Amino acid sequence: MRHVGRRGLVILAIAGAGVWAAWYLGLGPAELWPNKNRLGNFVEFFSAAFSPAVESQGGSGQNIALQALRGTWLTVLFALAGMSLALVVGVVLGFFASSAWWTGDPASRSWRRLRRVIGPLIFGTARLVIALLRSVHEIIWATLFLAAFGLSNANAVFALALPYGGTLAKIFSEMIDEAPRSAGHALRGAGAGGAQVFFLGLLPGALPDMASYAFYRFECALRASAVLGFFGVETLGHFIKQSFKVHYYGEVWTYLYALFALVIVADLWSGALRHRTVAA
Amino acid sequence: MTPVDRDEAIRALRSRRPRNRFARWTGIVLLALTAFAWTRPELELGKLFRQRTKANVTRFLGEVRPYPLQEQPWDGGVFGGWLETTLGDGVGRRAVLGTLALSVAAICLAGLIALLTCLFATRNVAHPEPFLPGASPPTRWRTYAWRVVVWATRLVYIFARAIPEWIWAFLLLTLLGLGAWPAVIALAIHNTGILGRLYAEVIENLPARTPRALRALGASRTQIATVALYPAAQGRFLLYFFYRWETCVREATVLGLLGAAGLGKEILQAGAGDRHDEIVLFVLLGSALIIAGDVVSAVARSVVRRAR
Repeated sequence: MRHVGRRGLVILAIAGAGVWAAWYLGLGPAELWPNKNRLGNFVEFFSAAFSPAVESQGGSGQNIALQALRGTWLTVLFALAGMSLALVVGVVLGFFASSAWWTGDPASRSWRRLRRVIGPLIFGTARLVIALLRSVHEIIWATLFLAAFGLSNANAVFALALPYGGTLAKIFSEMIDEAPRSAGHALRGAGAGGAQVFFLGLLPGALPDMASYAFYRFECALRASAVLGFFGVETLGHFIKQSFKVHYYGEVWTYLYALFALVIVADLWSGALRHRTVAA
Repeated sequence: MTPVDRDEAIRALRSRRPRNRFARWTGIVLLALTAFAWTRPELELGKLFRQRTKANVTRFLGEVRPYPLQEQPWDGGVFGGWLETTLGDGVGRRAVLGTLALSVAAICLAGLIALLTCLFATRNVAHPEPFLPGASPPTRWRTYAWRVVVWATRLVYIFARAIPEWIWAFLLLTLLGLGAWPAVIALAIHNTGILGRLYAEVIENLPARTPRALRALGASRTQIATVALYPAAQGRFLLYFFYRWETCVREATVLGLLGAAGLGKEILQAGAGDRHDEIVLFVLLGSALIIAGDVVSAVARSVVRRAR
């Protein structure tokens, strides 16, 4: 099999998996074939893209553009609240899940012994918590919190904060571990303690990357915040759902464009930020 | 060095440290906005401290325990029986495999479309004179026409990825009718937007020597792409493909909440019956699937990285 190569095998495996998936789900052309009903729906919905509504299509005289602005603001609000909490979770868990604080040159013998026992224990626990937080989708957290806490917008904040905190923690810990160690070694040689080495030697090297990644996650949080509108909070998703259910497609497009604009602004901003910090 | 000299030196170093006004203002604005956000009544933080919430949480935690074991001492046999009735008869297997199939079908579709369209979003291939500008000066309208192609493709990509998978799925389920297709297409649209942009960036950043030589020999765009560009980009393409597949698995676990197949559908049904024990079981199954997907993806990526 040398002439195929390892990458060739990977590609073959992907193709095989794709065929299996299509077979398992029964994805045939028949279900997609444009019948009258489907085609009509499609044309009606996508032609509304060219005439987004400014005023309510239900005739209530409500200003949809203003409503979209309000939805956008609430999308930002919940993304900010969720993300700030996620940052706290991410920094704390990320610290304990990085190997930098418990490996390396030990300061004293007794501390070394103690650390050999509790180090892996705390490290392992942090990794486990991160895996659990990350592997449950924010929408599922939202439904769980709805069942546990009852109806409250605060659910959306926590639903965002937990999986995003887990993801931040994972990436932060990797960034801390991969940051250049030379400054830390120099500090250690000059007699600095563990905390000093960590905060003065390791963290500053990893900080620009961490900030840049956190901003990227904020972009994702904006989209997630919009989606959580389907579960009670009045972010853009809430309005999209409402207008779509009563077939006011023009209104739906106004909200979709608002989300589009919000994501583009965040995307451009984060691009500019990366350009000026990481590249420099 | 006297202490005064040292302080002086430190001050001099500090004044020469790299500073970035844009990054600092971003930080200040975001910090201020966040502080303001936490004061807003829309967050409804007060509701969490009501007496009713506390009772609700206690009730919920009680109901998370498997139903036959509620207010009973732990019994492995009873627990096994409960697992059997909840997941037996292929329910658990179908939910997990359905979710997996959804993610695989979607990422394959997205990868394929991104592969076929990414060249239209690159400035070096989608150009009147690919790789050899200046060989013969192109007419102005040809230059503009290609520029329009590049920007139109990129705009479609941006729009596709700006709208979350969930919202695409919500819209398509109504427009296309029930079944697996709407969920697959929804996941594929969003990921095509992301993969297309990443793939185009990879192609743009490839070393230009080989394609330039091929162009000088008179090769067409298609020939250059199949002989030089795609083979050189293959490794990077695969890495991104697996990264995106991980998020596809994650998203696939929830799309069932809209009525499509998979774990989400089971969660929806258990939720409709207020069976919180079953909800948690299916959530944990999804969690296991996502973690397994991460492991498979990490292994595949390391294979791709090591293969030259």
